[in-house]
Amino acid sequence: MEYIIKNGIVYDPLNGINGEKMDICVKDGKIVEDVSSGAKVIDARGKVVMPGGIDSHTHVAGPKVNIGRMFRPEDSKKEIYAKKGLRTGTGFSVPSTYKTGYQYSEMGYTTVIEAAMPPLIARHVHEEFMETPQVDKAAMPLFGNNWFVFEYLKEGDLKKCAAYVAWLLRAARGFAIKIVNPGGTEAWGWGKNVHSIDDPVPYFDITPREIVRGLAEVNEMLGLPHSIHVHPNNLGHPGNWETTLATMDCVKGIKAKPRYGERETVYYNTHTQFHSYGGTSWKDFESKGVEIAEYVNKHDHLVIDVGQVTLDETTTMTADGPMEYDLHMTNGLKWANCDVELETGSGVVPFIYSPKGPVYAVQWAIGLDLFLNTDTDKVLLTTDHPNAGPFTRYPRVIAWLMSKKYRDEWLYNKVHKWAIQRSHVADNDKEYDLYEIAKVTRANQAKVLGLSKEKGHLGVGADADIAIYDINPEEKDGKKIEKAFRYASYVLKKGEVVVKDGEVVKEIYGDTIYVDVRVDESLEQEIMKDLREKFTRYYSINLDNYPVQDAYANSWKVIKIDATDIN
Amino acid sequence: MKELILTLKEDIIVPVEMDAVIPEKIENMTLDEIKNIELPQGNKKVLLKDLFDVELNEDADVSRIIIKNSTIKLKRIGEKMTTGEIIVEGDAGMYVGCEMKGGKIIVNGNADSWAGQNMKGGELIIKGNAKDYVGSAYRGDWRGMSGGKIIVEGNVGNEIGEYMRGGVIHVKGNAGLMAGIHQEGGIIIIEGDVDARVGGEMKKGAIVVYGKVEELLPSFKFEGVVEDPVIKLSKKDEGTPIKGKFYKFSGDYVYNKPKGQLYISVESNPDLI
Repeated sequence: MEYIIKNGIVYDPLNGINGEKMDICVKDGKIVEDVSSGAKVIDARGKVVMPGGIDSHTHVAGPKVNIGRMFRPEDSKKEIYAKKGLRTGTGFSVPSTYKTGYQYSEMGYTTVIEAAMPPLIARHVHEEFMETPQVDKAAMPLFGNNWFVFEYLKEGDLKKCAAYVAWLLRAARGFAIKIVNPGGTEAWGWGKNVHSIDDPVPYFDITPREIVRGLAEVNEMLGLPHSIHVHPNNLGHPGNWETTLATMDCVKGIKAKPRYGERETVYYNTHTQFHSYGGTSWKDFESKGVEIAEYVNKHDHLVIDVGQVTLDETTTMTADGPMEYDLHMTNGLKWANCDVELETGSGVVPFIYSPKGPVYAVQWAIGLDLFLNTDTDKVLLTTDHPNAGPFTRYPRVIAWLMSKKYRDEWLYNKVHKWAIQRSHVADNDKEYDLYEIAKVTRANQAKVLGLSKEKGHLGVGADADIAIYDINPEEKDGKKIEKAFRYASYVLKKGEVVVKDGEVVKEIYGDTIYVDVRVDESLEQEIMKDLREKFTRYYSINLDNYPVQDAYANSWKVIKIDATDIN
Repeated sequence: MKELILTLKEDIIVPVEMDAVIPEKIENMTLDEIKNIELPQGNKKVLLKDLFDVELNEDADVSRIIIKNSTIKLKRIGEKMTTGEIIVEGDAGMYVGCEMKGGKIIVNGNADSWAGQNMKGGELIIKGNAKDYVGSAYRGDWRGMSGGKIIVEGNVGNEIGEYMRGGVIHVKGNAGLMAGIHQEGGIIIIEGDVDARVGGEMKKGAIVVYGKVEELLPSFKFEGVVEDPVIKLSKKDEGTPIKGKFYKFSGDYVYNKPKGQLYISVESNPDLI
């Protein structure tokens, strides 16, 4: 199938294209130089053309998402996706798989990364991926509370740790190293937590600093496409910004050496809004968003995603088990909790971010502080779906960023006055333009994930994942911006039109991306010995039954990496 | 104002959802439009006129719908209604008066489960029995009935008033297990007997039992015997007087500082303490 998208106003930051009027040609799922005269014409006159959106941090598949669905029938009732020729679905903050795929697609998103996969239950993640249409997907296995990682790092054996990481990525069909509350979730198994990055983990006697730094080094030894993806300690606690800065700082000096992709950073700090809290309690709680942004601007080794609070009723879910317990004790709502053998744990709690609540208003403002003060090459748009708000609110976040007027309407009329008093949002006049929006929703993501060869841009050879929005580049009306980005005029996935006028018209099954790193055979033999021993003694499952089989995807996209030189 | 009389033509097997037929909607419709209202039946849609004989009386004293020959297969009668009256001649299916905000529903028969779920206002009168979850919250939710009044003249099933926050549930017959579970406000009055675990995990609100209590939770604290008490749920509350001699309990002490009040008739439970 050939398409030519004519006369659109193109925003493609990876190729430096800022609002140029040009044609884009598509053939066989790729972007090409030109097409034959038989190509179908899509008239994009007066419309905005961008690469397909990429969500580098979301929770859309796997056991904790499913627990959220199961224990919140009232969330299912909140939003019912009526049948529009395709399948139905329900759920506002934790939508069913089809609804997830369709709604991402309606917004022009074409790739999503599940940010927390418990390796032991990887099959469940992949099973849900198989039922999530419209997008390419990948999942990041959790390494920050893993016994093998703890022991190898404690022994100072980075090579073995790297070989183990490589093995686990292949076994779980994972994409990158995810670290959640390093050491804390393991401590939660003893009813404890770690607070500073130098608190030792009970029993293992290793500190979060050693875990983060160790895994960052391992990541660069293997040359993985993405950097380590970190959710630091102390999430959601007043005063945690210092922990966040210390964590960001502890990997300084490590050099990025990706063997795939073009990433220059070694550290990705996720949902930074939850980690930029000043004060000592909820009473003197305040934004440290600007301070965090200043650090990010000054240093080249990291990027952040925001995790913008959208002021909705949502469902929080994270592998940070102790944090979810704290949350449950704060709001008194139902709580689910889980331990995943030697690997990780998790918790789920519903949450209502009421605009009239002083703390929630400040949380909302902290996200905006981060957006408005960080260099737009180093910040990514997320809501940590569904933790700070559902992904269907991205268009609203875009509207807050693009229109000072719309932002102020919320700031002065809808949210509690603490947002003005305890953040810097009121004094900030920055308005994002569409080029910057394309950066924070596409280009930056593609680059930091190591996928910028094929995704996140519209250059020749890129995947033909394209979104066309009906919006005037000068538009400042928040409601109009929101509507335009919520329902794209056209979305092409793999060169096929999948959305037209905001409605899904074609169901297409994306790839599941994973990383297959080859390490030296003798090194692999060594870790297999350790694995066999641990599996026999501690795991409830046999080692041979552990790896995810080929059948667990509609189609795999394998990123092969040769790291045999690390021996 | 309009009075609509619907007579079910024959017994139905697959349940029908009636939430599209409420007084405020009928007011603005012609007879023809009413006849062609689409009602979901299982996974299909049927027209109102296919199931019912339809009669419209243009000058009634109050906006009213009368459903004759009604069966338990007619679900969601009066859902979300805000004004007017619905009179059900026969039984009502699940979710009668669900989320209603105003007006009045009278069921001259029995009701299935979930009657008055998440009710906010208005009045729901059931002349026969009702099954489980009268005046409850939606499944999974912790925000239940917040206002209005439900009167059941017969017996009710289990877990009535689940997560109730306001309003009144008055049962003239007996109640099953866990009446007022998780209650956080409002009053439940039960004239008959109740099964075990009445008031389980209640935080606020009041439950009055005139009949025999099968078994009392140990997490309630005995506060003394009171005669003709006036139940006050807040400082501003004028109070609801009740007649008789009651053991008064506070609870449920599975929580810290609960404000729930439980009144149990002394006469029907001489051996309770």
